[in-house]
Amino acid sequence: MTSLKRSLGSDPLASNISSKVYVRSTKSGKVQKIVRELYLRQDIPCSSKLCTACLKTAPRDAAGFLPPFVLSAAPAGTKKYKQGHYIIPDTNALLNALDLFETSAAFYDVIILQTVLEELRNRSLPLYNRLIGLTKSEDKRFYVFFNDFRLETYVVREKGESINDRNDRAVRRAVKWYDEHLIQAVKAAGGRKEKVPAVVMLSDDKENLRKAKKDGVEACSLKEYVGGLENAEKLLDMISVVQENREIKDAKTAELFYDEYYSVSKMGTGVKNGTLHQGIFNVSPYNYLEGSIKVPAFDKSLIVLGRENINRAVQGDVVVVEVLPKEQWKAPSTKIIEEENMNKDENADAEEGESVVTEKERRALQDEVKKVHSKTSEGRPQPTARVVGVIKRNWRQYVGHVDESSVSKSAKESRKQQTVFLIPMDKRIPKIRVRTRQAGEIVGKRVLVTIDSWDRDSRHPVGHFVRSLGDLETKGAETEALLLEYDVQYRPFPKAVLDCLPAEGHDWIVPPSTDDPGWKDRRDLRHLEICSIDPIGCQDIDDALHARPLPNGNYEVGVHIADVSHFVKPNNAMDAEASIRGTTVYLVDKRIDMLPMLLGTDLCSLKPYIERYAFSAIWEMTPDAEIVKSEFTKSVIKSREAFSYEQAQIRVDDKSQQDDLTTAIRTLLMLSKKFKQKRMDAGALSLSSPEVRVEMESETSDPIDIKTKKHLDTMSLVEEFMLLANTSVAAKIYEAFPQTAMLRRHGAPPKTNFEELANQLKTKRNLDLRMATSKELADSLDTCVDPKEPFFNTLVRIMATRCMMSAEYFCSGTQAYPEFRHYGLASEIYTHFTSPIRRYADLVAHRQLAAAIDYEPLHAAVRSKGKLEAVCKNINVRHRNAQQAGRASIEYYVGQALKGRIVEEEGFVMKVFSNGFVVFVPRFGIESLIRLRDLADVEPEGDFDPENWTLRTSGSREVKVELFGKVVVRISDVLEEGSGKRKVKLELVKTGGK
Amino acid sequence: MPLDTSTYSLALLRLDGRRWNELRRLTAQMRTQASADGSAYLEMGNTKVICTVSGPSEGGAVRPGGGEEAVVGVDISIAGFSGVERKRRARNDKRVAEMQNTIATAFEGVIFTKLYPRSLITLSLHVLAQDGSLLAACINACTLALIDAGVPMKDYIAACTAGSTSSYSSNEEAADPLLDLNAAEEQELPFLTVATVGESDFVSVLVLETRVQVGRLEGMLAVGVDGCKQVRAILDGVVRTRGGKILEGSTV
Repeated sequence: MTSLKRSLGSDPLASNISSKVYVRSTKSGKVQKIVRELYLRQDIPCSSKLCTACLKTAPRDAAGFLPPFVLSAAPAGTKKYKQGHYIIPDTNALLNALDLFETSAAFYDVIILQTVLEELRNRSLPLYNRLIGLTKSEDKRFYVFFNDFRLETYVVREKGESINDRNDRAVRRAVKWYDEHLIQAVKAAGGRKEKVPAVVMLSDDKENLRKAKKDGVEACSLKEYVGGLENAEKLLDMISVVQENREIKDAKTAELFYDEYYSVSKMGTGVKNGTLHQGIFNVSPYNYLEGSIKVPAFDKSLIVLGRENINRAVQGDVVVVEVLPKEQWKAPSTKIIEEENMNKDENADAEEGESVVTEKERRALQDEVKKVHSKTSEGRPQPTARVVGVIKRNWRQYVGHVDESSVSKSAKESRKQQTVFLIPMDKRIPKIRVRTRQAGEIVGKRVLVTIDSWDRDSRHPVGHFVRSLGDLETKGAETEALLLEYDVQYRPFPKAVLDCLPAEGHDWIVPPSTDDPGWKDRRDLRHLEICSIDPIGCQDIDDALHARPLPNGNYEVGVHIADVSHFVKPNNAMDAEASIRGTTVYLVDKRIDMLPMLLGTDLCSLKPYIERYAFSAIWEMTPDAEIVKSEFTKSVIKSREAFSYEQAQIRVDDKSQQDDLTTAIRTLLMLSKKFKQKRMDAGALSLSSPEVRVEMESETSDPIDIKTKKHLDTMSLVEEFMLLANTSVAAKIYEAFPQTAMLRRHGAPPKTNFEELANQLKTKRNLDLRMATSKELADSLDTCVDPKEPFFNTLVRIMATRCMMSAEYFCSGTQAYPEFRHYGLASEIYTHFTSPIRRYADLVAHRQLAAAIDYEPLHAAVRSKGKLEAVCKNINVRHRNAQQAGRASIEYYVGQALKGRIVEEEGFVMKVFSNGFVVFVPRFGIESLIRLRDLADVEPEGDFDPENWTLRTSGSREVKVELFGKVVVRISDVLEEGSGKRKVKLELVKTGGK
Repeated sequence: MPLDTSTYSLALLRLDGRRWNELRRLTAQMRTQASADGSAYLEMGNTKVICTVSGPSEGGAVRPGGGEEAVVGVDISIAGFSGVERKRRARNDKRVAEMQNTIATAFEGVIFTKLYPRSLITLSLHVLAQDGSLLAACINACTLALIDAGVPMKDYIAACTAGSTSSYSSNEEAADPLLDLNAAEEQELPFLTVATVGESDFVSVLVLETRVQVGRLEGMLAVGVDGCKQVRAILDGVVRTRGGKILEGSTV
């Protein structure tokens, strides 16, 4: 018999082959053992421009291209390393202070080891992605050295050695190798020994540093290293405090404020067998001590009440909760609790002697419970829960300002390090404890911070300061804050993106010769009487329309959309940037474009009197608005005129105008009304949201007035035809690509969403709100009228809109056909097609439609389901953020416009709490809270009747506030201490009308 | 979670430290089962396969069109412990059936089947460990086992896989072709299996089951064919060593 065992030993390459064995557990709980080969080699370059030996053996890719060497031949020096130095960070250095590595002030010539990269990826994927981004940037000079593949630096894990120790050892080995290698390289090149740059390991791990010292490896803690840099003070703030804190805490046995989280496996099994529930943690906008979690097991969302139960969860985290026993179930709070009022004078430095829940908080919550207990029969208790673990933190960078009261006076001048509280703009985020040396400078500024950790022994999360945006209430800082807060990409387009633009720039024209490849398969529609109707001052004209009678009595109607997909080719840099931005963001004074200006406002924009490429949808329809035939084609058009809504309306109303264009608009208007009727009959909802427009002075762009938007017939004309185009295109691309069509759906809202509103309408006005179908809802909304109060219907519609689900983009393969429905539009299938300049979804739909009509083959990226799902996920988020940013911007400018003015206006009560109520003022589209204590100098006693939503006050001032009731309020502006925003403040003048 | 294939571009290194045009370690032995007519054991990286040949023997289902030629039958059994997850494959697994068929057809093309009318040559493959390039490893093992059995054939069939560093939908313009993929790479990247006859460029097997952009196919195929030549040289080395030993009389 022969033995098969010898193969490895007899192989001359055996010394170069190693294997990596590790064990992993799968989602289903199975344990897998993975064995991987490792081929160790000696041709992995050091990538230093000093070294010539590595350059000779450096590998080339299949095209024979040699990646250029990264590390500078003359790296920067510091006080300690005058000869220049390369940095090798270990994993915890990156984990604690990646912000530092991203600054442009220091940290050049950094070597990232493979060991570190892998470890970082295991610990935090977002950090890993940021680091990969850094390695790709040319000016930062980051180089990834695959030390585990290089024979000299590969380290075998020893028996009994923990994986962390092994990795640390690998890092030290690599540092040592680099050091020796560079000395040799310089010697070979004939350089002097003093010229050899030092190789410095950065670590926050004491043990690692000690061992490095023993091995004779140059090493430094982050703090020590940064201390030796020029702008040390600024940079020191960016080091996460986690590390130091722990050391301090270890010294004195710390008091623990919160319960320990369950282990991952305990949570996993708990969620699986239904004893625990997993969901996204949402904080109530009115009460920072109340969170809610929607889980599939309960109809109503679970309420998490109080700091102890919230247990360090932050808005947006994915958490696991345990439902509390039924005796502890409560109604959602009817009281407003705001953090800044509760814990105003807390000392950021003091840690001892505090309990998690301050006495004040406890009292506030107890009141609550009492109130609910008295009416348990009617109090509609909702299940409550407590957080037992966090699956995924959703921490991002937060914008806020420093709580001035937490800054000690003496420290304002000195540069002593001290701890301050940072109050985030988003009220749902708890205040963050930050250590800084620049307290004096950053008071009164908008600043950006990150949360680093929230341990059991700390009442508040601990974070570090990233940068300052500028003074509070300056336009620049506030706008940037807004954009950061809603994660809008606002930086100028990088060069790679601009390179994708047509070389002709603004001189680009539609080729005059129809033989040009650009004309291929394009229909010449230049002879048609096409016009566009948009808001005043619109520069990015997406759509244009035409209509003309046909000899058989029918009409031909065309919707022409800017052909953006002609200019933005799939998967180039511009496309990638647009897909990340997802949408154009409209702020009051600013527009953040999805595509570069050249395309958005010129080449793609369907400007009048010039020829432009378009994507046209053309229908033949009967005078009763029945569609006979529809087709789609790429085309060339020449718009005759760009109207504003108002201009178009005037033209239509003016009987003396009988030219072709005006008749066409009248035809369109006639047809659009029929379409609208049909839609309404099918059960489309007409919802409402408070919309106002801020008028700016043209010179200074200071806000001067606020106008509510007027509705014109021509607006719904455009809207109807856009809806028509969108639905037709949706059906077409779904037919062509049943798995990968980009569609938009609007789910039917769960009944429970409307319960409260229906209840309120029933008791207050004896009105029935039915919501079995969208048709029923639409009809019952129509009946919600108050003959004395014309605005009442709009108010109800605004409130109903808030109960709706939000519409979302999706990829057709991920849902069953019945789920495609657009509830609000009562349409079976829907997509976005008509605004490709400002929405990425439309651009994708354009590409798919172009492929569906065999204009061009479908690019792989728009055909892969996984890719599309990722795109949908991103643009859904971007879309929502853009809306919120827009609203926040209006809110800010409304505040600015009202600055220094005092107005009395009518308003309506939208919500009633036990210690306050929310008033909505239609004239300015603002809604704001009036607390009981705002009513009079001495807070009046409040008697809240939750069944009737009535708040009666007695004592210093007697009023009766009812839900839906009309009130008169005095509007003035104040600087809100909590968020540093200028906000409108409402004061109750009297109840009832003016 | 170790790194994935997306880090290739950082240093032009694959998951296991190889360059784009490098094969894994390939070792093989012949006559590992003395009782069979011919046998071989082959490792491509961590993929391990045993092949035994029985025949040419009488019998074999007579195909329609007369039994003028020998029939090659292939039987693959994949051990339950061969993969990461322990599972038994069903008897009539379609993927295995397809592999059997592919191998049979390939070898019917190089064996002088006319010399053995109405007879059957059975190739039994036992997969002991899987780490990518399974079909290629099976084909290579069959070649060696058939040579060991002394079945007359035109030339070696040598096989290997080739892939591309960029997945189907991502559009990195500069995608390198890859040679000889392991299991982790096969999961993430598009790849094909190619086998050539002898030192020629004659492709006898080409299997592509993943989606790949047409533009990348040519590069992948070129690298694959080149890899097959390297594989052939290694197999030839194994055969020659074995032959040398027989001549010395040290083994049977």
